[in-house]
Amino acid sequence: MKSLKRGSRLITFMIFIFIIGMVILIAKIQMEASFYISNSGSRNLGYIYDRNGDIIFDDNAEIGQYPDGYFKDLGNLIGDASGQMTNTLVAKNLEKLSNYSFTSGITYKGGKAAIYSTLSHDANEKVYSAFGDKDGCAIAYNYKTGEILVCVSRPSVDPIKGYEELAEGSLLCKAFYKTVPGSTQKTATLISAIETMGIDSLMERSFTCNGVYTNNTGLDIVCHNEYGHGTQNIREAFANSCNPFFAQLVEDSGWSLSDIENCYKKLGYSVNGSEETEISIDGIISAKASTTLEDKNEFNTQWSCIGQGTSLVSPCQMMMWQSAIANESGKSTMPYLIDHVTNVNGRTVESASTNYSEQLFSSQTASEVKDIMLENGLNYTGKIPGYTLGVKSGTAQVKNGEEENSLLTGFVDDKDFPIAFAILIENRESYDVSTEQIASVILDSLN
Amino acid sequence: MYKNGLSYTIITFLSLLTHISLLTIVFIKGQYDSIMSPIILSAIILGSDILYFFILKFLKQNTYTLDILLITVLNMSVIFQSCFGKVGFAVKHFIFAVMALVFCQAGFKLAQNYRFIEKYKYVFYGIIGILIISIVLFTGSRGMWIDLGFITIQPSEFIKPFFALVFATSLAAQQNKKKILGIRIVYDNWILFGLTGLIVLLQWWCRDLGSLPTFAAVAACGFIMRICYPKAKLSKKLLIGISAAGLVVVIIALKFAPGYVQDRLHVDIWSDPTGNGWQQCQALIAIAEGGWFGKGPGHGVLYKVPAADTDIVFSSISEEWGLLTALLAVFMIMLIIVSALINTPRSYFHTTLSVGVAAVFIAQMSLNIFGSCNIIPFTGVTIPFISQGGSSMLSCGLMAGFLKAGQAMVYPIPERPHVQNAGRRKIV
Repeated sequence: MKSLKRGSRLITFMIFIFIIGMVILIAKIQMEASFYISNSGSRNLGYIYDRNGDIIFDDNAEIGQYPDGYFKDLGNLIGDASGQMTNTLVAKNLEKLSNYSFTSGITYKGGKAAIYSTLSHDANEKVYSAFGDKDGCAIAYNYKTGEILVCVSRPSVDPIKGYEELAEGSLLCKAFYKTVPGSTQKTATLISAIETMGIDSLMERSFTCNGVYTNNTGLDIVCHNEYGHGTQNIREAFANSCNPFFAQLVEDSGWSLSDIENCYKKLGYSVNGSEETEISIDGIISAKASTTLEDKNEFNTQWSCIGQGTSLVSPCQMMMWQSAIANESGKSTMPYLIDHVTNVNGRTVESASTNYSEQLFSSQTASEVKDIMLENGLNYTGKIPGYTLGVKSGTAQVKNGEEENSLLTGFVDDKDFPIAFAILIENRESYDVSTEQIASVILDSLN
Repeated sequence: MYKNGLSYTIITFLSLLTHISLLTIVFIKGQYDSIMSPIILSAIILGSDILYFFILKFLKQNTYTLDILLITVLNMSVIFQSCFGKVGFAVKHFIFAVMALVFCQAGFKLAQNYRFIEKYKYVFYGIIGILIISIVLFTGSRGMWIDLGFITIQPSEFIKPFFALVFATSLAAQQNKKKILGIRIVYDNWILFGLTGLIVLLQWWCRDLGSLPTFAAVAACGFIMRICYPKAKLSKKLLIGISAAGLVVVIIALKFAPGYVQDRLHVDIWSDPTGNGWQQCQALIAIAEGGWFGKGPGHGVLYKVPAADTDIVFSSISEEWGLLTALLAVFMIMLIIVSALINTPRSYFHTTLSVGVAAVFIAQMSLNIFGSCNIIPFTGVTIPFISQGGSSMLSCGLMAGFLKAGQAMVYPIPERPHVQNAGRRKIV
């Protein structure tokens, strides 16, 4: 009989394996059912609210139900469920919006699934209008908590009205895509220099600007001030945004190319094609900065450190660096858009918490850079009145120098109003709206 | 001696109750044009139930557990199949269900006496041979079906019961090990080994990759049972060695498998929900939409997807009846297999046969359910007794008969000890 029992054991073993499989199956279905439903034709999506309770996404909205252009300020950030835009808050979080539970199925009326976002609809509308007819983007967040408050990208789209005859770039939220940083890049170079040389050693250095600097390989680095800034130290050069100074700083024997490379990589740059990991903001993918650094004496490398050439940074990442400086911690506060999520029954199933990046640079460096930026900010008190600011402006040449983009990134040094921001105005002429004006609108509408 | 657990009346009552519950759900939650549809369905189901139980009572068997389980499962499946999309009556499926019961009885009679099987084992090898040749000649390298115009037959389905059967033959040969060039050889094992290889090649050639694991499971169980045959202690080393070798073969096979197999193994269905992943995505969405309690019989939409009543039938049932009912159906099939653990077979032949049949049922259920739900690659096999499809129903019926044979075997009448009796008579 013993040998006969082997048959029973074998059958029991097979049944056991099958039951394990069934348990895995049931667990998998329980966990992923909302995801399946989000891919279903029959679904019911809840609202997305702004921080004050305004609806900023309504899957069943009809033309006329909301004021004209009501959704346009955040159109390409919030998106919709049509699948036209893939890198949006709705597209990446369909599951959370789903009025569904495995026990009760799809709830068509009175479901309470919703995303409560950190955005301020009112502030975004004001910023959107402030751009006038210019394109570009503006992003601002609370650098203590990480809540994104403003994230406008122009041109935009009103998803209710459909997708016909849209201007180029309407479907992308530019805050998350790489752009030429211009002189805002000098902040990264400044951070790297302090990290490597130390502030005292760096302060001892001074370089002269005559409007043009011929570098070690015989090529000219031109300054925006054709008469030159004369002999300056790092603080003055940073405030002047002096290109010849920074070219000479890069050439300086006090640091090597690999020092710069390492600091840039720690900041999150992909250097010379090294691994490029993206930043995820509640599922929305934000591109990471990239640049090429090949030879300290070479024009292109110097130009990259000044913010032209191959350097590319997303406005979102610029803003995140400001948080590491403003907090004097050297760690970025990770931005987020979703404050909390409720399920179909109205129960809060997910709440945001503040997270930080890895150490990008030392807290000591952060304090030094903050000091320098605050000093530079004093020049902006007239244009952006009412705030203690640390800022860095930039002008980036794009489309082979045919167009100039204007950039401004910075932070408010106020523990009760901790806002960091990055602003980009594309193809700006001198008579157009300025980045400072946009910054003023952002801060005034949030204050 | 045989465990029937519950009395005949109680067990038939429970089976009827299962069907009545399901039919009540059809009346309450079902989608039908006319009230006549569920009435006709109920009449046929309950009428056939009573008829089956009546006939069964007259068969006078030692055990009826498996028969009643089978009737319960088959009529459950007729109810399910009748309701996909709209309540109606799945005539074809019902006819095959009846035939499956007949085949079960045939399989039972066939496998009851192991001496009979042993005597005619070459006939069964022959049947497998004919089926293999018919596949080679008629289905072609990309097909699985022979189309006879009025009916399509899937020969590979019919190989399964006979394959399990031949593995249970000539078990005693395990003890007559002959040494050739110092290696112990059991001829039957080598024949079976060759047959397994042939079938695997054939399945590969037909692109019937779904049946391949089923045959592999039967072969693996069969060989394990054969190796364990002598009452000598089971050599764990040998078992582990064989398992390890098997694993290596599988890994190598997967590594060098042709592109279309690799594609199937590594498919991310959600990246292509309208192409390659269509069926599985729809199947999973259907389960999610059905939830625990289902949308109601006839309210599903999955029936529009190809193979809704065969390869992804688990999801179709889940959508309309709810995951709980789908699990109940699976549980009932499990009970059919478990019946072999309760009324344990009393001969090594029947034990081996039961293990083989259990391997087929469990492998098929696993491949179907886990495959359609994207836990393992999707191959497209049937769930025994639940999926639509004549060949599968009949071959599973036959195998259920084999299981039953193990639970109600006939003891071969020993030859009369003539000499002794003759002697006694003389004394008298």
